Amino acid sequence: MPTGRFALGVAVIAVPLLIALLGPVFAGQPGPRAASFTLGGGHWLGTDFVGRDVWQQVLHGGRPVVLTALAATALSYLVALPVGLAGALTHRRWLEELLMRPLDVLLAVPSLLLILLAATVFSPGAVGLALLVALVNVPDAARIVRAAAAEAAARPAVEALRMQGETWWRMAVCYVGRSILRTLAADAGTRLTGVLYLVATAAFLGVGVAPDAADWAVMVDRNRTGLFVQPWAVVVPALLIVALTMGTNLLFDAALGGDRGRNAAGPRRRAGSEARS
Amino acid sequence: MSGLRSFVARRLLLGAAQTVAVVLLVFALTEALPGDAAVALAGDQPDPARIAAIRETMHLDKPAYERLADWATGLLHGDLGTSLVSGRPVGRYIADGFGPTLLLATLTLALLVPLGFGLGVLAARHEGRLADRLISSVTLAVYAVPEFALGVLLVTVLALQLAWLPPTAVGYGTDLLGHPAALVLPVLVLLARPVCSLSRLVRAGMIDALASPYVAQARRYGISGPRVRYTHALPNALAPAVQQLARTVDWLLCGVIVVEALYVIPGLGTVLLNAVAERDVPVVQGLAVVFGVLTVVINLGADLVAHRLAPRAGVAA
Repeated sequence: MPTGRFALGVAVIAVPLLIALLGPVFAGQPGPRAASFTLGGGHWLGTDFVGRDVWQQVLHGGRPVVLTALAATALSYLVALPVGLAGALTHRRWLEELLMRPLDVLLAVPSLLLILLAATVFSPGAVGLALLVALVNVPDAARIVRAAAAEAAARPAVEALRMQGETWWRMAVCYVGRSILRTLAADAGTRLTGVLYLVATAAFLGVGVAPDAADWAVMVDRNRTGLFVQPWAVVVPALLIVALTMGTNLLFDAALGGDRGRNAAGPRRRAGSEARS
Repeated sequence: MSGLRSFVARRLLLGAAQTVAVVLLVFALTEALPGDAAVALAGDQPDPARIAAIRETMHLDKPAYERLADWATGLLHGDLGTSLVSGRPVGRYIADGFGPTLLLATLTLALLVPLGFGLGVLAARHEGRLADRLISSVTLAVYAVPEFALGVLLVTVLALQLAWLPPTAVGYGTDLLGHPAALVLPVLVLLARPVCSLSRLVRAGMIDALASPYVAQARRYGISGPRVRYTHALPNALAPAVQQLARTVDWLLCGVIVVEALYVIPGLGTVLLNAVAERDVPVVQGLAVVFGVLTVVINLGADLVAHRLAPRAGVAA
């Protein structure tokens, strides 16, 4: 069954991912602009709201979505990993509180609201959007890192390492860091899915993108006015976004053997099996 | 019992801290404006009269701490400030947009709970069989899809190709109840993600509970299947689900903003997006405080209920 799910995930994600990564290479030079929202006339998928070729926009439009999402996920871990590890491994209670409590508070603010608030004041570009989405994800990621690391740090093996006089660095990175890898991989899948959702939705609402950008989410938004006459300019990018997000979720779930559901239900079982190995 | 009381006290304290943090964060927004806030907000129309008007409305000549104190006192009295664009009080904006958003949220929640629990219990009862595999795969797939992409595809198929439903709520104003057909697509899109996540959690919780020793013991006593499922197993599966229901409020908020934009519904989400586009900071701040405090309170309530249902689970606080 997992192999079937895996194949399904690969099949669903292949098309949007290939277009997103290789599309700009094959797109070629943009032709002259035609009339808005037309079908035919040498344009395979018609033209968009300013008369550009839809197929060419589609080829260019996946890269910003995928790259921004990947960058935001990586950035959020870049902050969450050290904070969570330090919070779990320190023996000073006040330091742990100082690191983790502000994150609990930040967790209370709805994610899209925070992004819209920032968009009122700055006009964030793609980099700004990636930073914002990463910031929104830090509290939750740091909590998961801390919980997993605290569990690993309480094992007898860490006690033994400490009594052997191993350095803090060796204990933190070589033992604890390695034991939380599986939990992190499962979390990364969930997080990437959530980040893709947030990046696409923000772009749809016009945050972090130019109003005429070649971006699947922007295409859906801007070409909606012509939905009656030229549906392809909306349907194709919308389908690609659906396939991309669905495929990401299916693929990670299959690759981790449904580990995510079990993780949430009972971490104790996993802890037991890992202590033995 | 003292454990419960100290948990409640700690959770209430966290809730209060979160409320204060939301207010501070939202206030900090004006401080984050680059350079002279009034000039930055005037944007496209930088004539001196408008800049002076903005400075006047937002009391920018006062020091920040004084403005914070005034604003916070105003919030306590229900005074959310005045719009920069129209000069109307922010409270009026919220009152105008409240109806449609509340209607959408109520309808969605009313359908979400039975649907989510029903699908979850159904999948858990048939664990590993076709019904479960189908429900699990579909919920896993739909869970991740952004509302706008799903919504626009549904409009294309159901409204344009088949002409079963109106594509948007344009022309109906705030009287949405009078046009139930216009509500079908928005509610359907709003439901998609929360139903998936809720039913997945209920399914996982039910499977764990059904495999537990106490359920086996109850079965050995000869208690009927439905009674074991609904009075013994389901309450234990409920605690994580109740918390998820509260997290759903965050999603509903995101969803409402997108869905209102997509289907042109004049609710709070539309008010917020318009204010963001016009850089009407007081309106954005007022709405953000309302949304933020609402989220804090609902999460607080859910954590308390979840703790009551399963005290051992160790709810985060």
